[in-house]
Amino acid sequence: MAADFEQVSVKRLVKTYGTTRALRGVSHSFCAGEITHLEGENGSGKSTLLRLMALLGRPTSGEIYFGDEPASEPQRFRAQIGYSGHEPMVYPDLSARENLDLFARFYGYRDKEERLKRLARLEELLGHGAYLGRPARTYSRGQLQRLSLGRALLHSPRLLLLDEPTNGLDREGLERLGRILDQERARGAIILLVTHDERFASAVCDRRIRIHHGKILDADAAPGP
Amino acid sequence: MMTLLRASLLVAEKDLRIEFRTKELLSAAGLFAALVVFIASLAFYLDPTEARRIAPGVVYVAAAFSGVLAFGRSFAREREFEAMRGLRLTPIPRAAIYLGKCIATFAMLSLINLGALLLVALFFHLDLERPLLHVAAFLLLTTAGFTAAGCLFGALTVVTRARDLILSVVLFPLLTPAILIGVVGSREALDGATGSELGVWYLLLSAFFALAIGGGLTLFELLIED
Repeated sequence: MAADFEQVSVKRLVKTYGTTRALRGVSHSFCAGEITHLEGENGSGKSTLLRLMALLGRPTSGEIYFGDEPASEPQRFRAQIGYSGHEPMVYPDLSARENLDLFARFYGYRDKEERLKRLARLEELLGHGAYLGRPARTYSRGQLQRLSLGRALLHSPRLLLLDEPTNGLDREGLERLGRILDQERARGAIILLVTHDERFASAVCDRRIRIHHGKILDADAAPGP
Repeated sequence: MMTLLRASLLVAEKDLRIEFRTKELLSAAGLFAALVVFIASLAFYLDPTEARRIAPGVVYVAAAFSGVLAFGRSFAREREFEAMRGLRLTPIPRAAIYLGKCIATFAMLSLINLGALLLVALFFHLDLERPLLHVAAFLLLTTAGFTAAGCLFGALTVVTRARDLILSVVLFPLLTPAILIGVVGSREALDGATGSELGVWYLLLSAFFALAIGGGLTLFELLIED
């Protein structure tokens, strides 16, 4: 059975790649209805933290808890996680509509009507452009970013992990993303956002965590100007 | 949570839909198989008796090389845009990704290999009327085992840099027993062996398939981990 949770916690999370320690004992809890901005210089471990929380890899040590349950059975939590990373993670030979329909089926939406409804819900983010019917390999960076975000939001996940979601988005796209994140927060999603766009982060985030060399430097400070 | 079978069919449908649209795999691997058969027919054809001895080997060499091409192409699709990661984010069982890729690749390779068999029959002047059923069954059974092993090691190409080299180096030694069994079985079938005489080859190929698919279902998740 798929699990539900109001909080996601990481405890003493360590991740090493060969001799490189990407995370050095990160502990923190993230609550429903909050958007947390993860900030830090390149290579500080932000993306690694997001990937581990997306259950795309196992930590070297430490644990991730969804509510009170450890993520020892990742399959139970995947339906509740949405992740958008540096690559769009879609099929380049399928169009945006086909990709989103396909992923909706992977998330268990068997009913065509329900899938169409979910696609319609994402129209604010995706726009109405003719590009939606073209193969994804023909898209611009911004269009791919929108599609990637659409894939992450498609199944209304409880935990939403967005790694540089503002990359490639124009001003209109940023405004749309901001509105959607507001809606997701109101729905009770737990949202983690990695971005170097300070202005965007200040506008949408409730909390800020600074990561440096794989460790949390300071947390829960109010977002800066 | 989605059942293993339904999720596997969904993955297979996705692969077949992409192939139907791009025709990349069928055209590349199919053309390659046809070229291997054509060149072998020029190089090895001596007389009808020798041709019957050589022909099964030509079919299986074409199947092996075009197969490696097909596995590489099939997993290249998962590598582009990191699509495999998107798939791994979904709640479908990991085994379904493996099985789905096996089903789709088997369908495509079967088409290519049966086409190669027909070409071999044409170029090597084989009378396939009587042994056709056995020769085709051996070929399909070998293709199934070949696909089960190829889709497991094809996954390695998503996570390693030495992609095609790794695939060939790991896969060919592993497939040699299946290719040998297929060639010997087909040769005996062409020589007029009966179904019961061929039973042992069917058994060995089935065992190879069971081993390959069992290994694939067990190891696939480990190979695609970040």
